[in-house]
Amino acid sequence: MTAPPAPAVPRPPHHAVRAKVVPGRLLRLELRRNTMLWMLPVAILLFWYNGYREIMAVPPMWNLRAMTLQNRLLLDFAIPVVGAAAWMASREGRRGVADLLGITARPRWARQLTGWAATTCWALLGYLCCVAVVYVLTARQASWGGPLWWPAVVGAVAVPLLSAVGFAAGTLFPSRFTVPLVTVAAFFGLAFGTQAASGDHSYWQISPLTSGAVDIGADPGVATFYHYLPDLSIAQVMFAAGLTAAVLGLLGLPAGSGGRWLRRSAAVITVAGLAAAGTAVALAGTGRLDPHGMIVIPALHDAANDQPIRYTPVCSHTAIPVCVNPAYTAYLPAVTAVLRPVLTELAGLPGAPRQVTQAAQAYAQGPGNSINLIFHGLAARDGSVVFSLPDPLPGDQGQTSAGFDSRLKTTGLQIVAGVIGSQSRAAGSPAVAGPAQQAVISALTRLTAPQLAFRNGSAEQLGPYGRLLPAPGSPAAAAATRFAALPAAAQHAWLVQHLPALRAGRISLAQLP
Amino acid sequence: MTAGATSAAPPAEATRQDLRAWPALRLAWLHIVSRRVPVALATIAACAAALRGAFYGHWDSYGALQLPLIFEVGAASVIAITAASPFGEAERATGRWLPYLRLGTTLALTAAAIGALAAAGTGGHLAGGTVEVLRNVAGLTGLGLLCAFMLGAGLAWTGPTAYLLAGTYALYTDWHPPTLSTPWIWPARPPLDRGAAICAALVFTAGLALITIRGARDSGRD
Repeated sequence: MTAPPAPAVPRPPHHAVRAKVVPGRLLRLELRRNTMLWMLPVAILLFWYNGYREIMAVPPMWNLRAMTLQNRLLLDFAIPVVGAAAWMASREGRRGVADLLGITARPRWARQLTGWAATTCWALLGYLCCVAVVYVLTARQASWGGPLWWPAVVGAVAVPLLSAVGFAAGTLFPSRFTVPLVTVAAFFGLAFGTQAASGDHSYWQISPLTSGAVDIGADPGVATFYHYLPDLSIAQVMFAAGLTAAVLGLLGLPAGSGGRWLRRSAAVITVAGLAAAGTAVALAGTGRLDPHGMIVIPALHDAANDQPIRYTPVCSHTAIPVCVNPAYTAYLPAVTAVLRPVLTELAGLPGAPRQVTQAAQAYAQGPGNSINLIFHGLAARDGSVVFSLPDPLPGDQGQTSAGFDSRLKTTGLQIVAGVIGSQSRAAGSPAVAGPAQQAVISALTRLTAPQLAFRNGSAEQLGPYGRLLPAPGSPAAAAATRFAALPAAAQHAWLVQHLPALRAGRISLAQLP
Repeated sequence: MTAGATSAAPPAEATRQDLRAWPALRLAWLHIVSRRVPVALATIAACAAALRGAFYGHWDSYGALQLPLIFEVGAASVIAITAASPFGEAERATGRWLPYLRLGTTLALTAAAIGALAAAGTGGHLAGGTVEVLRNVAGLTGLGLLCAFMLGAGLAWTGPTAYLLAGTYALYTDWHPPTLSTPWIWPARPPLDRGAAICAALVFTAGLALITIRGARDSGRD
């Protein structure tokens, strides 16, 4: 007696199972045997040395960190990724097994794409780990705002491009010498390609290393008061993805890469990739610098991004509050410490501002790569004055706290001059001051013309503010010393009584206490 | 008949016969060919030509300083890769003259690279001049040879190319403090800096000594 036969379980066709399993197995094999895995520590070490330390040294603002990351991380990964990809691709040629593998079931192109995919997977894993570390640390340090994803996305799309370039070179020229040469060439192209960019219409800003406008780059004023514009990033992603497709498609074109349909597909992918990359380059050439320091590409621009970001300013507890964008919260104590003495003196005086508020500065493209920063002095708005924080911030581009403070004192000088000095005849020009006014301004700010000139580096850089302070050794300087010696309360009381006459120029030096 | 046939032999055959007459010369030639020295020389010449061509471009201050380093790295990587032996253990067991051949090949290639790159910079704005080319190429070659000894000649490019990023960054910090002033990153130091020269020389000597005595690491897998 035998048991009745079990009902037959329908099985999928054998070739269907193989089609699903084999690529996965091949990818797993490639992942396990991939040189990029061993190059990851090198890539991370290079990132730590070249990128991480510099990124973490810049002020903890999302715009600065994310835009610097786009530039640095990709450059740091270029050498290991291109080298590893070229090394993996030249493997068959170096070992002399190309003919042997040519008779396997999988088409050569599919085999090559699997090798490229494995290299890219490891490279992307390392890249994303580095992004995660920087973003997590920034999230813990930043006082306001959220991550900017576009700079990270551009890099993530450019990593497969680097891998594809290396892989194509290793496949087409399978020699030991290919690897260092293509690595050095890729580094040269990537690092030096940005030097060709000139102005906001440059096609070269399509380089994935370019984060924002050339010669502005990561600047505190960019993407703080206005949204980060993704226009250039979208073009860069399009370029990198298109070029990756074109390079990989190119590998499928030679005879022996696969069947007729596979080679036709490769040709279509190559053409489509080239078209996408070419379109992206053309789009980058239509860019223009917007007043907020970012590149606008009309065909990709969303007008909704032009709206300013809403925020609740952070204000100091001074006699006249100083309010800054919350992204700059870390600098409010420094600003307050410098401006507090003058604001205490000015509080309650006729014409004194109700509040001192930070505002965005504007950018304009100059000839070549030059950028003009536009800020029309201290503008009065609804009883408050708006000012711009000195750029760069401490820690950024070698700026020191002392240098930052000294430039803030110029802001204090402007605020005091706006109250004590006379209105300039030309609209928008700084206040003007007579000898008595100069003496009082100098006494309140504790500044003299030589000090200001020295701090700014040279007398030429003193600019229009030099006229607000008495010349050294002049009678006005002596009067300033005399006035400064008075107690703060006495100075304030005198100013309350005599400020209208002082502003009108009816007070002489001799009349100053 | 035989004599006539010999005189009519093609030049390559004649060269081979000449080499057979001089065993030492033949040994050197076989070593050179096995190390792909002719290809390496052609590549070094290409690096020098590319450096010369780059002088016609417009570079900013960073670019002008960093540019020579890129081509120096290319040449040094190529020299290090020539340490690869196609014979491995068998060659080591039989080759009494092998250390001398390795030494001579490496020294000759290094000298050729320095000469080619210095010649490419003649009349151009070669940052640092010939002295810096000498120091950088020697140091980078030493780094590549050390990598060839430790990782295998196939992966000897990893050291010089990774060092390229370190060097370019150090040059960048000349404008953006804090400046990296360690002599171990010699490309960022002035051409006549003694510390940088000593470091580069030490690395070159160490790499050359290890490759001469032990050769590049044989790796069954890449």
